[in-house]
Amino acid sequence: MTSSDSRSLELKAQIQQYLVQSGNYEIISSKLTQMLLEDGWMDEVKRLTNEEIKSNDSTNFTQILAKVEPQALEMVSDSTRNNVINQIRQFLGEIVDTE
Amino acid sequence: MSQITVESVSQSIYENLLTTLIQDIVSRTTTEEQLLRARYNQSLSPYYYEKSGALDIHGNPKQQDSSVYVHCDRCNRDVSANRFAAHVERCLTRGRR
Repeated sequence: MTSSDSRSLELKAQIQQYLVQSGNYEIISSKLTQMLLEDGWMDEVKRLTNEEIKSNDSTNFTQILAKVEPQALEMVSDSTRNNVINQIRQFLGEIVDTE
Repeated sequence: MSQITVESVSQSIYENLLTTLIQDIVSRTTTEEQLLRARYNQSLSPYYYEKSGALDIHGNPKQQDSSVYVHCDRCNRDVSANRFAAHVERCLTRGRR
């Protein structure tokens, strides 16, 4: 790992810590949860998980997660995705300087 | 060098949130399934489902109420299930007189 990589990781950690302390992280998190719930994404992921359990005949968490995670990330609707990312970007805009 | 932009940080925070949610759902579902399998090992089968809606969760058709008989404890007679309420009304009032 180069020094710039570790520096960027550190920066991300700092930003996240700031978001948590300012209470913004919770706002974003609960908004995302609510939107995904209203989209039916939550139930859809649960259904998908059950399907994978059945088709692989396995309840191994690591194995099932590897199958479900990429699909579940894809399943988020564009509007939810953009909405949440915009909100995060807006919070970040208030606290970071860009060159 | 990897560029750190507001864009990339937003993206990674978003992914953090989302993967946490997914892991939570998947772990709940797998443990639930593990518990069910451990508890009801072989006999575990999903509820029967048929599109037309003619069969119940065991895969059986609807049983006619009139062919079922219920035993009346008061008069010791078997009464057809769909006439039981009417029977009780008469049976209990007659008994009181």
